[in-house]
Amino acid sequence: MARRPLETAPARTRRRLGVVVVDPLPVVRAGLAMLIDDRPDMEVIAETGTAEEALEIVGRVRRSRVVVLVGLGLAGERDAFWLIRTLRERFPTHAILGCGANADATTISRALFMGADGFVDKNIDAVEFLQSLRRAADREMVLAGPASAAVDQIADGIERRRELDIRLTTREREVLSVAAEGLTAREIASRLGVRERTVTTHLARIYGKLGVGSRLAAIRMAARAGLVSVGAPE
Amino acid sequence: MDTGSASVVIAAAHGVVGEVVRRACDADPGLTVVAEVRDGATLLDACRTLRPDVIVLDDALDAGEQGLDTLLALREEGIAVAAVVLTDRSDGAAVLRALRSGARGYVRKAAGLSRIGETVRIVAEGGRAIDPEVEQAAVMALGQFARQAREGSEVQATLTPREHEILVLVSQGLTMQQAGRRLGISPRTVETHVAKLYRKLGVRTRVQAVGRAVQLGIIEP
Repeated sequence: MARRPLETAPARTRRRLGVVVVDPLPVVRAGLAMLIDDRPDMEVIAETGTAEEALEIVGRVRRSRVVVLVGLGLAGERDAFWLIRTLRERFPTHAILGCGANADATTISRALFMGADGFVDKNIDAVEFLQSLRRAADREMVLAGPASAAVDQIADGIERRRELDIRLTTREREVLSVAAEGLTAREIASRLGVRERTVTTHLARIYGKLGVGSRLAAIRMAARAGLVSVGAPE
Repeated sequence: MDTGSASVVIAAAHGVVGEVVRRACDADPGLTVVAEVRDGATLLDACRTLRPDVIVLDDALDAGEQGLDTLLALREEGIAVAAVVLTDRSDGAAVLRALRSGARGYVRKAAGLSRIGETVRIVAEGGRAIDPEVEQAAVMALGQFARQAREGSEVQATLTPREHEILVLVSQGLTMQQAGRRLGISPRTVETHVAKLYRKLGVRTRVQAVGRAVQLGIIEP
């Protein structure tokens, strides 16, 4: 992770739009940093490949115009969506932009549902990309790239998530999310700290509520609602 | 109908709007107006009978709601038709609703003949033509939608299963006593739950509770 001096920068530069770049790929981070630092009105405050570090960095920023750029490819237990949600909870005034290459409508809907202020596709041209950062910093909702033509599908994705949230309890969603990782009932029980019997009861109730007959069908519904990602988001 | 020409049905409440669209379509050899209607019901009939390629829909039709409902009805009946919506407002939520109903073209009534004609032509050819301003309004509405959905989930997560049950019964109009009987608990216990429920929803009355719950998407309307 590379860091630039924060509070020691002169007041003039602290008025610049500050960007925190979060992406698992070092080459991507370097590329985005070059693009952003080249502009006089913005600069990269820091770049990192992990969610924990991103939270730590953002917690120490003392600037009013900040955009946190989160690569949706960030995976693991503390993935991009976990980061977006946590950032939104802890730092309600900072702008958060999801960023990805050819992300589908459900993935984008998940990013927005978690609290992102928009999504920029990595495939757009540099000018549009930078303009998206500025608009996000002004707290405008941004959809840049092919996503802008899929507004209706993204809205549908959010609605599917809401419907799932209405039907299932928090616990049931938790069980389903863990089940989607491909674990057995016993492994799920161990992860959640409950008895295996409890897990199978939850699963049976979940299938009933969703009107499905198998774990696979339930997971598929969860994926379509953006509750879980199956496979890499990008 | 000439082959190679797309058939168009125009649905407009006022003569002026219909006139403008008519002229825009007549000016384009690739478009043939096959019907002009004034309300949602007639539009539905016309689409079922004529199976046009494109509908040009004034969003003021039948005080605004019928037009989009017609689009949804056509979808449900499996009738494939591309829709262009004409508007004179930039109400993001309305645009989002139209896009989700299947509209692929969205243009302002004041945009002028050639712009309107161009929009209809693009959509007739299977493309998408949305005014950039209108698109941005829809994106903003999407942001609002996402925010409300998230808030709804957060509030819902704070409710216990019991409170959620009571919320549903209250929204169905049951009194505390009736709810208590249904759940097998005393009315006093119901009252305690209700008080906590109202606090979590940030409301003070039953009507507010139901309204807030629907708005947050915690219960279905």
